[in-house]
Amino acid sequence: MWARAGAGVLPGFFLAAALIGLLGWLLPGPWESTMVASLAAFFPLWIGVICAAFRFSSGRRAWLWLGGLALLALGLLWLLQTSGWVR
Amino acid sequence: MKLKPATLRTFTTLHSWMGLVAGFALFVAFYAGAITVFHQPLQQWATPRTAAIGSLDDAQHLLDDVLARYPEAREHVGMTFPGYELAQPTAYWQDHHGTWLFATPDHLAGNPTPPGASLPELINQLHYTLGIPVAGTWLMGVVSLLYGIALVSGFVIHLPRLVKDLFALRPGRNLKRFWQDAHNVIGVLSLPFHIVFAVTGALLCLMFVLMLALNPLIYDGKLMAASAAAMDTAPIVQKAGVARPLSPLASWHARSIEVARDQGIADFVPGYLKLAHAGDAHAVVEITGTAPRGLGGGAVALDATSGAVIATQLPGARDANHATLAAVYALHFGDYGNVAVQWLYFLLGLGGAFLFYSGNLLWIESRRKRRQPEQGRSSIIMARATVGICIGVCVAVSAAFVAAQLLPWLGWNAGAGERWACFGSWALCAIWASWRAPSRAAQELLWLAALVTALIPLAHGLATGWWFWRSAAAGHGALFAVDIGALALAIGFAALARATARRGRTGGTNSVWADQRR
Repeated sequence: MWARAGAGVLPGFFLAAALIGLLGWLLPGPWESTMVASLAAFFPLWIGVICAAFRFSSGRRAWLWLGGLALLALGLLWLLQTSGWVR
Repeated sequence: MKLKPATLRTFTTLHSWMGLVAGFALFVAFYAGAITVFHQPLQQWATPRTAAIGSLDDAQHLLDDVLARYPEAREHVGMTFPGYELAQPTAYWQDHHGTWLFATPDHLAGNPTPPGASLPELINQLHYTLGIPVAGTWLMGVVSLLYGIALVSGFVIHLPRLVKDLFALRPGRNLKRFWQDAHNVIGVLSLPFHIVFAVTGALLCLMFVLMLALNPLIYDGKLMAASAAAMDTAPIVQKAGVARPLSPLASWHARSIEVARDQGIADFVPGYLKLAHAGDAHAVVEITGTAPRGLGGGAVALDATSGAVIATQLPGARDANHATLAAVYALHFGDYGNVAVQWLYFLLGLGGAFLFYSGNLLWIESRRKRRQPEQGRSSIIMARATVGICIGVCVAVSAAFVAAQLLPWLGWNAGAGERWACFGSWALCAIWASWRAPSRAAQELLWLAALVTALIPLAHGLATGWWFWRSAAAGHGALFAVDIGALALAIGFAALARATARRGRTGGTNSVWADQRR
């Protein structure tokens, strides 16, 4: 229970942040125009990820999946940002 | 809908842990928050004399005086229009230490104590910080997140029976099922309201912390620079370095109403202004106001020397950022629509408080040892804490109300005295509950809550002469509503006290709520 909660809170935070980032930067128009909406959407998404983390069969799997997805999504976001493909 | 038993078990554990950790703070937040919905009537009620609404001329004199006296105010100053929060206009600015100073037509010298009665702000602080300075806001932000998790997990556990049991409220021998039904039906029917509060509560408390965290992570360090344009209406401009006088305040007021009317908002009421670079050729004024028919008000930014429109963010014609921000504020504070919306928020707020209280009772009930009078340690501690904190805060809030009337009447300082009355009585209730048997303490504190709450209209009448029948006859709806609302709550507390006594006498004996002496 604790391991899965931890997975939802820690890697889950980075995953939720990365998803919000991808959504904000990939939507048409500059990312600034949906900034407040992105911030408002962050907490419900994070809560959703924390709750979803409890559906993994073990804490280890939750950490690996959420951590891996977070790294992947953040990596993709940074790649898009530094290459200038999104603005 | 079918769920795996393991999932159901996990989410039940999660739900009770969230309730255990956040339930008390949420009870306080909802009880105080329900009252804070009426902060404006409360302000009138707690102000010793009903002052006449000031004029725009008063506001102009105040502004001129503050700008002449305080160079810091010439950089940035804010001012409420007469009749917005208080009858008189209030100017506010930061001195060079960063301390906020306030001035009114009666007290032109800048003062760090905000004008007006301090009671509404005390209740508001209780609502969003539990009365804990600085860290209280962050604590309540985290509590909002836990509340969100409790909502999701509670919804999931109830999902298999949600539709079938929606209108089931089964009184009878099985009291636990009755309480469970009540908990579920209030939770499900007010779920949209609760989702709104979990999200906006977390956002209002943690917005700044979240921005600091997300800025380097996903915004490439550009978030802070972009936030002014996303949240303010007036753009940030540099000083021209050329002196130019301000145009009259009344002209800004009139111009903002005119601009709003041109955009189809007929009922725009200017509330407060923000003025930057007064005296400079690049002086900018931003006028924020309410539009009761829109979700959230809007703002008009003007050149403060010529009155030319620089930018607008009004309902129906604002960008996504301002529309979202206005919706977050309006949905949380319930200041859209008319008084019916406020009463709805008040009732849903009390319903929310009931949700957390009944959650605690269910926690105790599910750990009840039915075959022996002695109950587990955890059940007794939970019962004591529920009585001391939840019923205690009801006593404490009413004590602050009574103090707000009686202390100025006796010639003492209301501001500090209210805090003592509030937190002192709360602490005493908690000590009382930790010492007495829970069933006795619950009855005694409920009777105390009924008594102190019934004293509210009495104290108001004694201190000001505005007995509630006189307020009603004179058409002072706010004064009348606060007094009558207090009487209604007092009757409610008395009814709960009687019900608790009945439970102690006639209910099942093997429980923390059974009378120990019978």
